[in-house]
Amino acid sequence: MNALLRWRTQLGLTLGAIVLSVGAYVLVTLGLTGETPHGVAGFVALIAIAYLAADVAIVNLVPGADPILFPTAALLAGLGYALIYRLNAGLAAEQLGWLILGLALFVLTLVLVRDHRSLDGYTYTIGLIGLGFLLLPIVPKIGETINGARLWVRLGPISFQPSEAGKVLLVVFMASYLASHRELLAVATRRIGPIRIPEPKYLGPLLIAWGVSLAVLFIEKDLGSSLLFFAIFVAMLWAGTGRASYLVLGIVLFAIAALLGYLAFPHVQDRVAIWFHALDPSYIKDRGYQLAQGQFALATGGIGGTGLGQGHPGLIPFVATDFIFAAIGEELGLLGTVAVLLLYVVIVARGLRLALTQQDPFTKLLAIGLSSTIALQTFIIVGGVTRLIPLTGITLPFVSYGGSSLVANFVLLGLLVRASGTRTGEASHP
Amino acid sequence: MAPAALILLKAVFLALLYLFVFWALRSARSELGTEPRAVVAPVSTPSSSDGRPVPRSLALTDEHGATIGAVPLSGAVQVGRSPSCQIPLTDTFASSIHARLFARDGSWFVEDLGSTNGTYVNERRVTAPAEIKVGDRVRVGRTLLEVRP
Repeated sequence: MNALLRWRTQLGLTLGAIVLSVGAYVLVTLGLTGETPHGVAGFVALIAIAYLAADVAIVNLVPGADPILFPTAALLAGLGYALIYRLNAGLAAEQLGWLILGLALFVLTLVLVRDHRSLDGYTYTIGLIGLGFLLLPIVPKIGETINGARLWVRLGPISFQPSEAGKVLLVVFMASYLASHRELLAVATRRIGPIRIPEPKYLGPLLIAWGVSLAVLFIEKDLGSSLLFFAIFVAMLWAGTGRASYLVLGIVLFAIAALLGYLAFPHVQDRVAIWFHALDPSYIKDRGYQLAQGQFALATGGIGGTGLGQGHPGLIPFVATDFIFAAIGEELGLLGTVAVLLLYVVIVARGLRLALTQQDPFTKLLAIGLSSTIALQTFIIVGGVTRLIPLTGITLPFVSYGGSSLVANFVLLGLLVRASGTRTGEASHP
Repeated sequence: MAPAALILLKAVFLALLYLFVFWALRSARSELGTEPRAVVAPVSTPSSSDGRPVPRSLALTDEHGATIGAVPLSGAVQVGRSPSCQIPLTDTFASSIHARLFARDGSWFVEDLGSTNGTYVNERRVTAPAEIKVGDRVRVGRTLLEVRP
């Protein structure tokens, strides 16, 4: 695809994202009050300037960048804003601030990371900073417990979830470590009973990173992130070594961890019980209330939904963070939820395609890791809301209310866009 | 606003949402098939006095058969993971200074320099300097060095 065509595609899709974001916002106000919003011109101007500025930044800073990644994420963020506005105008004002900050950091990522391969030189530094971010909420005084999970850090007036930043850094660490050690990890030299394992020396740093992040997350009681980290870890190990045995090993280890977690922690037992019994009479008004209301919201929406602003998604507790997918289901129906899932499919497919076209192992693994993160996070929360798997409270990427998550995901997207603009492996083709 | 109008607007909104998805997927597809292909220039093969082509370069490929690059043969050449080698490798199965290639009386030879995993010519381990001819495959770690005219 030549540069002009790529630029036209990106501009067109970004304009589409702006129109749909503004459309959702207007429809929400129409549905709620029956009138068009007063401040719509200001909102249009703000969104259009912010998105187009990011567009111009991509074209100028990353020649050859993927033209589809940014507009798709921008549309998800715009839809998310409209839904949050519909649920709680106060939260929406904050979210708009976070969105602008997220876009600013997206551009800053492109400015600072001129070549993503330079990150490959800081394997252990990045890994340690990532672990540091995960550990931060445990530190007394600055760590905060909100809703039973100790995953917040308060510094002065700002509180944030450092695990979101830790997530991106650990993916970079794993990509970098696996890029230089994948061959050694792919060869099994030691034998334990019937299982052959690679040299412990090479497996060590990975197991430490994995063990510490899991331990920390169990201490912080953040089951969603714990599951996410585990899944990313296994996916990257599998992709890096090309050995399905890591996948099997990962599933076995996960089963053991899940069983131990279930036996040891009452809050894990609680999650599983709610998953099975959310609609039982003894649960529905009490422990299963949130999940039951989420189910009712999806059922009320049916195929086409009640229309934006015309349902009652506000009945679901924590709807703007954990249950925003149910709010989409209620007001835009099955059609709306499938469209949103397709937008994630577009982002993930672009990321995986990027991994396939690049030659450099670090770039491949980085693209796989970052796009798997989006895919797995979406699966975990949508699976939880639809009762496919037990509910663990994590955010729907780009859509849910939550500053740390939105900003971290835009930085993640920045790395993906940067990687898409660098064609590696060309030097060997004269 | 009338409920019918809101339903219509919702339908338009959903249609536009799907249009966006369709457009994104279509642009992704239109990008396929336009990838620049590497053009391999035809190589002329000069011959020595006895009619056999003379080894002039090495084509490097990794264990998946992907091309790493090509190196001209001249003087004495060392192969290994060390950056001081004339042919530096990123192969983790290669030793720091793994093997050397040198010319003697118009022929080229490869010699293992005490590497951990050995040096192979056409998959036979080299214990003493071995002559290499055009078309031979020298394996160092997981990297293949094919002798080219």
